[in-house]
Amino acid sequence: MSQFDALFQPLNINKLTIRNRIVSTAHAEVYATDGGMTTDRYVKYYEEKAKGGCGLCICGGSSVVSIDSPQSWWSSVNLSTDRIIPHFQNLADAVHKHGGKIMIQITHMGRRSRWDGENWPNLMSPSGIREPVHRATCKTIEEEEIWRVIGDFAKAAVRAKEGGLDGVELSAVHQHMIDQFWSPRVNKRTDQWGGSFENRMRFGMEVLKAVREAVGPDFVVGMRITGDEFHPDGLNHDDMKQIAAYYDATGMVDYFGVVGSGCDTHNTLANVIPNMSYPPEPFLHLAAGIKEVVSVPVIHAQNIKDPNQAQRILEAGYVDFVGMTRAHIADPHLIAKIKMNQVDQIRQCVGANYCIDRQYMGLDVLCIQNAATSREYMGLPHIIEKTEGPIRNVVVVGGGPGGMEAARVAAERGHKVTLVEKADELGGQISIAAKAPQRDQMAGITRWLAMELDRLGVDLRLGSEANADMIRDLKPDVCILATGGRPFVDQNPEWGAEEGLVVSSWDILNGTVEPGKNVLIYDTICEFSGMSAADYLASKGSLVELVTDDIKPGVGIGGTTFPTYYRSLYEKEVIMTSDLLLEKVYREGDKLVAVLENEYTGQQEERVVDQIVVENGIRPNEALYYELKAESRNKGQIDNETLFAAEPQPVLSESGDGMILWRLGDCVSQRNTHAAIYDALRLCKDL
Amino acid sequence: MILDGLLPVLITMALALLVIGAVRRINLWRAGQPESVSLIAGLMAMPRRYLVDLHHVVGRDKYMSNTHVATGGGFVLSLALIVLVHLFGLDSKILAWALLAATALMFVGALFVYKRRQNPPARLSKGPWMRLPKSLLVFAVTFFIVTLPVAGVLPEDFGGWVLAVILLIGIAYGLGEMLFGMTWGGPMKHAFAGALHLAFHRRPERFGGGRSTGLKPVDLGAEVLGVAKPSDFKWNQLLGFDACVQCGRCEAVCPAFAAGQPLNPKKLIQDMVVGLAGGSDAKYAGSPYPGREVGQAKGGPTQVITEGLVNPETLWSCTTCRACVEECPMMIEHVDAIVDMRRFLTMEKGNTPNKGAETLDNLIATDNPNGFDPGGRMNWAADQNLKVMADVKETDVLFWVSDGAFDMRSQRILRAFVKLLKAADVDFAVLGDEERDSGDVARRLGDDATFQSLAKRNIAVLNRYKFNRIVTTDPHAFHCLKNEYKDFGGDYEVLHHTTFINELVKAGMLKLDMYKGGTVTYHDPCYLGRYNGEYDSPRELLNELGIELAEMERSGFRSRCCGGGGGAPITDIPGERRIADMRMEDVKATGAELVAVGCQQCTAMLEGVVEPRPEVKDIAEIVAESLVEEVH
Repeated sequence: MSQFDALFQPLNINKLTIRNRIVSTAHAEVYATDGGMTTDRYVKYYEEKAKGGCGLCICGGSSVVSIDSPQSWWSSVNLSTDRIIPHFQNLADAVHKHGGKIMIQITHMGRRSRWDGENWPNLMSPSGIREPVHRATCKTIEEEEIWRVIGDFAKAAVRAKEGGLDGVELSAVHQHMIDQFWSPRVNKRTDQWGGSFENRMRFGMEVLKAVREAVGPDFVVGMRITGDEFHPDGLNHDDMKQIAAYYDATGMVDYFGVVGSGCDTHNTLANVIPNMSYPPEPFLHLAAGIKEVVSVPVIHAQNIKDPNQAQRILEAGYVDFVGMTRAHIADPHLIAKIKMNQVDQIRQCVGANYCIDRQYMGLDVLCIQNAATSREYMGLPHIIEKTEGPIRNVVVVGGGPGGMEAARVAAERGHKVTLVEKADELGGQISIAAKAPQRDQMAGITRWLAMELDRLGVDLRLGSEANADMIRDLKPDVCILATGGRPFVDQNPEWGAEEGLVVSSWDILNGTVEPGKNVLIYDTICEFSGMSAADYLASKGSLVELVTDDIKPGVGIGGTTFPTYYRSLYEKEVIMTSDLLLEKVYREGDKLVAVLENEYTGQQEERVVDQIVVENGIRPNEALYYELKAESRNKGQIDNETLFAAEPQPVLSESGDGMILWRLGDCVSQRNTHAAIYDALRLCKDL
Repeated sequence: MILDGLLPVLITMALALLVIGAVRRINLWRAGQPESVSLIAGLMAMPRRYLVDLHHVVGRDKYMSNTHVATGGGFVLSLALIVLVHLFGLDSKILAWALLAATALMFVGALFVYKRRQNPPARLSKGPWMRLPKSLLVFAVTFFIVTLPVAGVLPEDFGGWVLAVILLIGIAYGLGEMLFGMTWGGPMKHAFAGALHLAFHRRPERFGGGRSTGLKPVDLGAEVLGVAKPSDFKWNQLLGFDACVQCGRCEAVCPAFAAGQPLNPKKLIQDMVVGLAGGSDAKYAGSPYPGREVGQAKGGPTQVITEGLVNPETLWSCTTCRACVEECPMMIEHVDAIVDMRRFLTMEKGNTPNKGAETLDNLIATDNPNGFDPGGRMNWAADQNLKVMADVKETDVLFWVSDGAFDMRSQRILRAFVKLLKAADVDFAVLGDEERDSGDVARRLGDDATFQSLAKRNIAVLNRYKFNRIVTTDPHAFHCLKNEYKDFGGDYEVLHHTTFINELVKAGMLKLDMYKGGTVTYHDPCYLGRYNGEYDSPRELLNELGIELAEMERSGFRSRCCGGGGGAPITDIPGERRIADMRMEDVKATGAELVAVGCQQCTAMLEGVVEPRPEVKDIAEIVAESLVEEVH
């Protein structure tokens, strides 16, 4: 038997044959434009998955059925209007063309949204209880409104059907309207819609009946439910088994999707899309428990990223379909690569959650490592074609993610590529990031790139610091500098970096300095680096205070990731202090004194510690760039107009003397991994 | 002349010995199993078979064919005239001059034979064969001289007794080699057995430009299944073995031999001769089975072949590629013999080596060689919306999917082909779960019972439906369905997909772009090329895409096997090299970036070669990539 045969057993949902057991489950894409329509970008994003072999895509996580469930602030799909139907037809055709199937998740989000925009509605929920994650206040829904929303569900389902989609998934998860009615935690009603089990089930049941009635027996209607809310006053696993069995018994549900955890607090939300700190498939047992009590297929996603893992889960029969949603965001050609026996070439999701953390900020979902994802409509390719133009000698300086991506793409284009890296190994700042507790999987980003560079035969010169003469000797047609930067600990001379009074978070994570006993971390960035340094030091036994001049340590980290840092830091008794500027550091005996000043009061306070870590971001390494700039053909300039349009740089088609010189990543200015990789891809795809 | 009296006596004696030897030799063949042949028609057809069909093969080497025409033709002519002139003493100047001319012709031919034997290629057997050119020369010269007086060129009493004695010795030697040796096991045996083999060949369809490559079915009711002993072969198979000239053309093309596996087709045929005549291989003077010593093999007509004469590993090394059969100037059927002997090992002894037994068990239990769930045969096409015969009952083209359905690599070929079928709007359907393995591997592994069972069940399914043609991407299934199902009542028009796609392209049903990649070469699958003579469609098709093929030296009917046929990857007999690696070297020698193939087995074997190496793609994939798709 073949290694992945369990993945490739087709299975029917209702009368719909799904070609394999891999599903891209519903997630909010934040790509719907023009008032919630599935336009070009949206269609191409799903078409790419279908082309890559994905069996079933369930699109449009939390797509709304009613005009009083807001969608515009996060560009979600809007099924409350017939305008959506032709857009669905485009979407369905694009996916069907490649043998895939596509359904959409539909919902009324109830209290779990924002009211401050679009139509400025009053949010509604069974008992008017505020939702903390969205700071969403709401009214208590009235009987008339309940029946109107039930009708909206039915109309929306019909629109999906008329648009040629293969089914709808009713969202009864993530604390939307249906499971708001289910959960005694937020349903305090005493009428026929609350109280007893049957009463709490009534709203969902009426929705199901109305939808089924409207779409007929053959159209797929699924339900996504939680396996356990993980709230003492919420629905536990036994409750959910009872609920699943109750709905299953109607014979009107064609499948169940099961998600572990509730979602209406910051801490439970982090469970729903488990980041890299979680073990593989942490909530599979909940889905398997639901499968025990229902008679239709069960789908489960949550930290299933690897085809071997998927095979193991399916082979053991825990569930019928495996959701590999982030895995498809990282590599929509996942299935094709399994089938091509190129499993090693799969760009595997590392669980950085850049995608979902952007979504919770209302930003479009992007992959930290695959800049082509959701930019298919712009012509950014997942499969890089060989150039039909001249073969160029490309020299890349810097083996961080940006430099490696540039080298990869250039090599895929068929160019002769040399990559020069100062350190003895590839990885750049990713390698440092991966040294923090629970962050080791970050290294997967550059590990994949390193494997690709090896496969593509890129000439790697490790342990070799580039200088201008070396570059000139290599006679590049194109030289790409991705030399990164250095910790910006000397911004304020009073910090005493020159005298060695402070160290950087790199020094800590790289182990170049020993952890102090009593440490103050001053973090102006409030993203991963400061939190990681704190977590690292605390895990080595240091007493740590994490101070920021910003409003909260870690405030720049997204909604599914700061909670896992907080869990770790609070448990290790790291003190987090806001609103203090580091004014000065001085030595007193064998101790260091940090002078801190409150930004709002000007009041100063001091800390006597053994070690002070300053995390103040990156200062670009630009010396080599300025040495080479003058002699380069393009004077180091990148044409932004064509870059932003993902078109070839004009200099590539112009003749001239000297090398083309570009720089990207932190050696220009500090941005992030995605920015460096995106620039590398869009610059080099037309090389 | 002094010889005048002796010459007829000598000739008569030689002819008598020839006849006695012939009777003895024929009796050795008659120890084989009966096989009805048409005696008169066969003998009547023989000259044409020799002059046309056999020379078509020999003529691939112009030097040798001219040499043989001169030598052999000269000899046959000489012998006839010798009988008239020197035995019956017909006093005719014309006959005498004719004889002079014939012996002169033979002499010239023999000179070339001599010349080649000065530095013979490795494939040629040495031993008695080294003496043959001299014998030919002596025969020609002596009869030339003794005929000069008859022709009136020299006086009747020329020369003295010394010359007479020399001539006498020469004539005796010449007649001994040419007539006595012919039926008593000398090199000239090939002429006698070869001529009769042509007359009574087991596959007369091969003559006159025909093709006969399907294996003959086993009578499953027979006492012994397959060939255990030489006497279990059909009598005319034994005759065929005896026709071998040990030219070693088979050896030169055998992929297993080249890979250092313990098989040399020439040695195998010579071992069969040892077996039919009894004795040992001590006198064999050609290349051994790689890695095996010569001189240890012993056998007899009723002794079990694999117990002392031929090691089973020799039989299991064969890929059934038919390169030897294709090259054999004596039209010997090596593959038939090998499979016959495998049949005994598998069906009587249960000794199919390595994964063989497991594969056969799988075929018996699951109707596919790898033991996949037979209900999963259509999994590859879950998203293709293919019509299934059980539903539609009737179609133009029945697409025979074959076991590639279970293999992810082959599925890409299948999907590419389906894409083309859909693009050309072909009315086609598949059998779905009703399809079974064609039986190819079972049959080549010697399990004819399983083959027959699969074939009969497939035929029963096929005969339920109406269709015009079967098309398949698998040359092995193609061969079975086309050539081997007839014996069980399955007579279909079967096309290889390259033939069919070529038809579609020619009919303008597919809109194609030009191929954009680099150099391409084409690997002929054995079961498409040598087995079924389809060399042109794949090439025409690639040509249509604007590809100018960089042909391999071994291509067309001389294509080298990928190593994947005949169950060879399953029995997996070790050698010094892998056949697929050698084949990839052939590919690399053309400088190609891509090798086009038309067989999933070839694809698997060639892709199994470690990288870096040229890419491997089925022609269906190459064409599908060039397909201009309609934009909706």
